[in-house]
Amino acid sequence: MLARIRRVPFTVIPLVLAALLALLPWLGLGIYWNQEIVLTIGLALLVSGLNLSFGYAGELALGQVAIYAVGAYVSGYIALNLTSDLFVSLLAAIAAALVIGLISGYPGLRLGGWALAMTSFFLVLLVPDLVNIFQKYTNGTIGLVGIPPLTLFGQPLDSNQYYLFAVIIGTLWFAVFRNLVTSRHGKALLVLRRSPVLASSLGIGVRPLKLKAYALGAVPCGIAGVLFANLEHFVSPANPGPFTITTAIAVLAASVLGGSTSVYGALAGAAVLQLGPLRLSSFNQYTDAVDGAFLILFGVLLSDGLSGLSSRLAARWQRRRAAPGVGSTALESRAGREQLAGRLSGAPLEVDSVSKRFGGVTALSEVSLRAEPGKVTALIGPNGSGKTTLLNMVCGFYKLDQGKIGLDGVSLAGRSPHKVAAAGVARTFQTPIIPKGLTVAETVATGRYATAYTAMPTSVLRLPAHWRGQRADRQAASRALAVTGISHLATEDAESQPLGIRRLIEVARLVAAEPRVVLFDEIAAGLDDDEVRDLGEIVRELASAGGTVILVEHNFGLVLDVADEIYVLANGRVVAFGPPAEIRAHPAVLREYLGVSAEALEPVPGQTATEAHHDQPA
Amino acid sequence: MTTIWAGLSVGGVYAVVALGYNIVYIGSSTLNFAHANLMMLGVFLAYWGLVQLSWKIIPVLVVAVAIVAFASMGEERVAIRPVRHIQGQLVTMVGAATLITGIIEIVWGQQALTVPSFFSDTPHHVLGGAVLPGDLAVIGLAVVLTAAIALVSRLSMVGLRALAVSEDRDAAQLRGINVRRMQVGVFALAGAIAGLLGPFLGPLTFASYTLPASLAVIGFVALAIGGYGSIVATTVGAFGIGLVQQYTSRYIGANYENLMVFAILVVVLMALPNGLAGARRERVV
Repeated sequence: MLARIRRVPFTVIPLVLAALLALLPWLGLGIYWNQEIVLTIGLALLVSGLNLSFGYAGELALGQVAIYAVGAYVSGYIALNLTSDLFVSLLAAIAAALVIGLISGYPGLRLGGWALAMTSFFLVLLVPDLVNIFQKYTNGTIGLVGIPPLTLFGQPLDSNQYYLFAVIIGTLWFAVFRNLVTSRHGKALLVLRRSPVLASSLGIGVRPLKLKAYALGAVPCGIAGVLFANLEHFVSPANPGPFTITTAIAVLAASVLGGSTSVYGALAGAAVLQLGPLRLSSFNQYTDAVDGAFLILFGVLLSDGLSGLSSRLAARWQRRRAAPGVGSTALESRAGREQLAGRLSGAPLEVDSVSKRFGGVTALSEVSLRAEPGKVTALIGPNGSGKTTLLNMVCGFYKLDQGKIGLDGVSLAGRSPHKVAAAGVARTFQTPIIPKGLTVAETVATGRYATAYTAMPTSVLRLPAHWRGQRADRQAASRALAVTGISHLATEDAESQPLGIRRLIEVARLVAAEPRVVLFDEIAAGLDDDEVRDLGEIVRELASAGGTVILVEHNFGLVLDVADEIYVLANGRVVAFGPPAEIRAHPAVLREYLGVSAEALEPVPGQTATEAHHDQPA
Repeated sequence: MTTIWAGLSVGGVYAVVALGYNIVYIGSSTLNFAHANLMMLGVFLAYWGLVQLSWKIIPVLVVAVAIVAFASMGEERVAIRPVRHIQGQLVTMVGAATLITGIIEIVWGQQALTVPSFFSDTPHHVLGGAVLPGDLAVIGLAVVLTAAIALVSRLSMVGLRALAVSEDRDAAQLRGINVRRMQVGVFALAGAIAGLLGPFLGPLTFASYTLPASLAVIGFVALAIGGYGSIVATTVGAFGIGLVQQYTSRYIGANYENLMVFAILVVVLMALPNGLAGARRERVV
């Protein structure tokens, strides 16, 4: 029986529940509960708007209540003065919400953390002032009184029909919301939440994505405004009232309670706050105290809310039922690497006399370097020699002071990081950056956001292109997992893996993107000998599959093993370059970089790897 | 000149809110969103002592300082120490602020209450403008406290340690600074000052549970103008905001005064994301 339930597609259950909810008035739901449920749907809409910006994009923008007020006033004004047609009211409110969402989201592109939270909080405080300023339309502190009921094709809706309308519009929005956050755009938002730097190195344009999230997050708030205005038939800026900080706090409390990074958590949180012992709409003097306690309690103890709790319980239940799988890593990875052959079409990367200064410090001066497809080009040097600076310049994180960087003859200079990534440059980080809340396979698939882009409406409407893209993502991810030998971890949580595995996840993410140039930033740091050997093999494999590989590394042994060509940096200059055999014996290298005499290295070649760790800052 | 005095006294209120932010920010690199609510708790305690219990001012001050300092330390223990990540702290600190307001609502109700001033109610004429002695006291307190805290943070050993914590928490810890004790200490100090100010702010602001939200936000605008941790610049910013509000209210209309401050906030944050006294960092990876 249970097994049969689990086979039902996950999308069906919410739809069945929504249909049941829609039928309640005809099963004897009283007028009081009828209204309370409409208000709950309104609150859930507001919460989902917050979830999109806070739970997914990771920025606490609390302006939902201001947009809620705009939606309510627009709908009320139109109903009083023009038409009470449902579609006109809804479309006008959504349009107004989108406009306000874009305007108020614009500062949010530059701001984050407290600055954005405060700015959006301020916006809510401005509602009464704005209502007074636009007194001609809003009727000032008195408010819009006697808003006529909405009509559908000229027929006024009775309370049951209005209830049905609320359930339908709520269901539609939650379908859109769910489709969005379960698509690659939702994953991209989680990447952005983890780190804007990671997002742009995966080719995700931070500003456009944030702006889309803010604009889209405004839509449910506008709809909630329509629901409110036409339920109460009265809109005013009074405090206590719906368009105040108290509501903003309640929205935040409901979001945190249900789990900010979730879809249906918004409904659960809204239901608890609206229908629970508090009765949000009565605005009594206990509301603030209880909301505050909720926020502290859930913020400290249960940061992923009720939905996190339920999914953890579900995961434990499934794990107990599933037989433990034993994967043979070595065999599997060998098979995987054969799949890789010929899949990478590398392009030559040219760095031509590049210089960079930070204030008075010259980090790079006149550095030139050429990396060829099918080869591993290593970049070594002591701490502070400029290796990572060079990497960051290639990726577009720093501006060029002087010189040229070209990929396949096309200049990368002046391109923003996400454009560089979209041109086919993929990288890893010294400390792996893995987004929270994704499985290993999902994390790996995020590498393909830019290289195999699907537009947001396509994903939301689940058009064929969305399914094609998702299938391609899955295949590329499983190939990349096979190459790195971590297929058996595909469904595990990515962020909680040990360091060695997180490195491999980053490598797999980069492989999935099928990049033209691969930049490894100290991938051996902190790993044991076996893990280093494994990674070394993968690095070689990527080069022989046709990729252009650049390896920035401290581990001299690894570099000697895998590199075709080695560049040695010291004090921001290239002091030597050539094949490993030459570099190993190069007197300048031994003196500048290793700080040891030539004899010390010669007799035991196998131990160079460990000795290379004793490099000294120049 | 009367408008200037009015602006300065409102600015003085914002200045002490922002000063509370700065004290906590310097010692623990967190922005204490609940500080305005703690200050309002001080105002309500002043009402409770002076009106409900008819106590003399000194015992009221002692009790208010003790209770608000204790509440502030409680906030640190419950809502801030267990949560290190900024996204979590945003939630728990908004929670702490709301909880304090909620407790005020339960104890004193939702009506604004008048706190008596222990200065005379007859305006003085100073520099060609009328000003209440109580307003002058708030302006003076804001200036004196700003100067005192600025000097302590620059010249005393404790102040320098606190600056070290705000610069780099981990490095400060490695240098042997007890970061946790520092954090508790700055919360206690900020709370104590908030308690001390209650009887002085009360006559200006009234005891009102809705006020902290706008005080918190406008205090933050002052902080954004001055730059996090820049004590003097922040107070200057706060007085500036007070003046802008009063002049906007007088020449454009009362509905526009907050809108004007909002515009200033957006412009400052976009043009000078680190305030007047801040520096930029380039390293990102």
